[in-house]
Amino acid sequence: MEIKLKNLTKVFPGNPKKHIRDTVAVNNLNIDIPDGQLVGLLGPSGCGKSTTLYMLSGLQLPTSGEVWFGDEEVTNLSPEKRGIGLVFQNYALYPHMTIYKNVEFPLTNLKVEVPLVCFYDYVITYTYKMEKDDNVEGIKRSIITLLSKVGFDKKQYKLTIEDKDGILNIIINLYSVNEKNYDLFDKNFGRIIKVASKDAKKTQASDALYDVTIRGTYGENVADEVGETKALKAKLHDFKKNLSEVKVYNDLKGVTNYLVIINKVTDKEIDAIKAQLTSLNLKVVTFKKDVAVTYRKLNKVERSDIVHDVARLVQIEEYLERKPSQLSGGQQQRVAIARALVKKPKVLLLDEPLSNLDARLRLQTREEIRRIQHNTGITTVFVTHDQEEAMSICDLIVVMKNGIQQQIDAPQKVYNDPKNLFVAQFLGNPPINVFNGKIKGKGVFIGDECIYKTKKDIKDQDVYVAIRPEGFTLNKDKDTKNTLTGDAEMIQVLGRDLSIIVNNPECLKPNFKVIITNESDAIKGKVSLVVKPNKLFVFDKTTEERIYLD
Amino acid sequence: MLNIFKKRTTSKKYASELTFESARYGELKVGHNDKANVDVEVVSRHKVDPEYRVGGVLDQEQRNNWKAWLYLAPVLILMAVFLIYPLIDTIIIAFMRNYNYVKGTFDGFTFDNFGAILGLTTINGATETRVVQYALPNTFILVFITVPVSIAIALIISVLLNSIKFLQKIFQVVFFLPYVTNTIAIGMVFSVIFDSNGLINYIFNLGDFKWIYGASRAVAMIPLCLYIVWSALPFKILILLSGLQGIDKQYYDAAKIDSTPKWKVLTKITIPALSPQILYLMVTSFIGAFKEYASIVGLFGQAGTTQGSYELYTIVYYIYDNLNTNTSFAAAAAVLLFCIILVFTFFQLRVSKKRVYY
Repeated sequence: MEIKLKNLTKVFPGNPKKHIRDTVAVNNLNIDIPDGQLVGLLGPSGCGKSTTLYMLSGLQLPTSGEVWFGDEEVTNLSPEKRGIGLVFQNYALYPHMTIYKNVEFPLTNLKVEVPLVCFYDYVITYTYKMEKDDNVEGIKRSIITLLSKVGFDKKQYKLTIEDKDGILNIIINLYSVNEKNYDLFDKNFGRIIKVASKDAKKTQASDALYDVTIRGTYGENVADEVGETKALKAKLHDFKKNLSEVKVYNDLKGVTNYLVIINKVTDKEIDAIKAQLTSLNLKVVTFKKDVAVTYRKLNKVERSDIVHDVARLVQIEEYLERKPSQLSGGQQQRVAIARALVKKPKVLLLDEPLSNLDARLRLQTREEIRRIQHNTGITTVFVTHDQEEAMSICDLIVVMKNGIQQQIDAPQKVYNDPKNLFVAQFLGNPPINVFNGKIKGKGVFIGDECIYKTKKDIKDQDVYVAIRPEGFTLNKDKDTKNTLTGDAEMIQVLGRDLSIIVNNPECLKPNFKVIITNESDAIKGKVSLVVKPNKLFVFDKTTEERIYLD
Repeated sequence: MLNIFKKRTTSKKYASELTFESARYGELKVGHNDKANVDVEVVSRHKVDPEYRVGGVLDQEQRNNWKAWLYLAPVLILMAVFLIYPLIDTIIIAFMRNYNYVKGTFDGFTFDNFGAILGLTTINGATETRVVQYALPNTFILVFITVPVSIAIALIISVLLNSIKFLQKIFQVVFFLPYVTNTIAIGMVFSVIFDSNGLINYIFNLGDFKWIYGASRAVAMIPLCLYIVWSALPFKILILLSGLQGIDKQYYDAAKIDSTPKWKVLTKITIPALSPQILYLMVTSFIGAFKEYASIVGLFGQAGTTQGSYELYTIVYYIYDNLNTNTSFAAAAAVLLFCIILVFTFFQLRVSKKRVYY
């Protein structure tokens, strides 16, 4: 499901009496999340990312703006109607229920649609020759399991087995069942028991029911819309109990139209309605007929199947009988995800899913989340303050600050091509080095040293120059122009890499970090560094927006 | 050379101190030889004096021991004088034949007192039937009606109170007020309300229906139960409300997302989460209800609906009534009540192990 946020704003009202100002948690957020993607909301604490997630879930309502799930606006829809799964930061597993019960809980409330097509009664008689290892109880049990797996309720079937000297007469009565379900049952019945003969009788139990919407023009033009609506209602009183809406209204052109919505009617009744309308001299313009639906709850076997499927997906099958307190943090996390997934939500929302885990488990679990998301293909939004987490598993990162979205891009793009100074500083470890610099005559200067020459015409100004730690190489050739010099204060060996701490007066911090491969031979003292152009970013001094050099 | 130091202690704190110290000294083995004692063994390469360090901890504990007893002394003395001595004395008196509490004389020990109050043995040509006929059944009726009803009502009220924001504090105070009001005073107000010329008869247009004086035993139970339930509510609401406020809101958010109906949230989430508080209330109010006495005095002023009748006897009422005349019978009834409560509480705690989630 595609998610769209349009001008989403959330303001937590303050208290003017106590001089508490309004807090703008989310400010005019516009995000398009493509279907089936894993999106990370990234930002420091207090940037509004969790609030955004809760507005997506419906637990908090936005002050203004819209939330769209696909083609449907859900801005003011309550959470249960949105078809979402939400994983809480501290998991919120019910402590008194077993893992199985926890995962099953959402299913006990779930209602599935049952189309009201033609229903039939069946009487099926199978004969079956008992073999050596068979016993009647076992056969009975497997048939009942099959019946409930197909989705038949206990009231919908009756099973009798007569044993006549090793030849079983299995008589199954099915009441008011869907033809499709019967076919499914019949097909699978052959798989579990090889019957000698079969005899099925089918009688229609009920007609198919339809929801009908009729629109048309009224015979004459009327002035009194309300009165005429009442009159039409009275004329259609034969269908009173199925009538859900009747309306007579004038459109902009002054033509009188009418609208009739009737629920759960048979074909015969539809004909009668049509005849009635014709006799009233009403012209039918559009006629829409849909199969009516009713809702039922999932039965125990269906629920168990779904729970086990999801448990297998998140690999918690072996813990199903335990209580949440008997599981480790990572396992609880997966249970929470299972509980969110079990309803097959259109959107999965995760609120800081990894913040309660230790470092090693965090690595493992984030890959797990990626795998689960990949296998299910559910559009997933997750909130994190950890840049590494977001970079490693997301398809798309939304960087936020103070309720304002800073950049939306693929992880690599956000790192390699930051839109402003905040994004550049927030991503990357060790953090990016920022210098006071200036642009003068198409050259980028730090202090008096020109580190880069651009071809583009950029007006001379003071700027921030930001260079990633890995964006330097040691200058071996003394003649090379465009270098940055500094005083190497300390050299740290990080195994694969060397880290050099360099002093430079123009740096915002007392010193800056350079990371180079350990093959280079760095010594303390004066160093001369060449800057890689693709690791160099220049930002406006006042707006902190990026100034593109090429 | 290895220094080995062994010590047996009952103190877990001591053992943990040793664990801490052992990081400096060397190896430490802590073994539990039984439930109370901890065997501690320190093996060290260094020349150390474990007696000094470790013994220091022990000395400290021993030195503080008498202080602890001193601080506890007032409570212990009071408990010994007013609780433990009377308890033992009551049990002894319950077995004394012809005990005279003024003179302190008795003719040996016997089980007859229990037989007598249960109507099994005849004393002085008369049979005591009031305990079996009135006191025991009444007590059980009151216990099994008022406790579940008051807990259920308290639960409903506290859940409702918890769900409103507006005026919550005021309602909390209103519901708590009966707790600080005198039992006898409330009882008198109830007896006015249920008087044959009272408010209830007036509102429901019942003429001069007799609820209290001159009422049958079954009818008299109604105002009595109502009164007990009403006066038991405030404390229960207080406990349940504080329990409710401790439940993590996220459980409700999670339930909301799963479109859980309200009654199911109550039965599947709220009540299990409140189960420790409910258990506490069950145990304490069952014990309290077994000891019901003041409410009957407050409402009826006597043991029955008419002068000289005993149809509203409870066990404790019987005990108080016979304290001066038949001290041994009263003591036997007290021991009987003690046993009933003991068995009952034990049974509740057993059941709760499966039903209560901490």
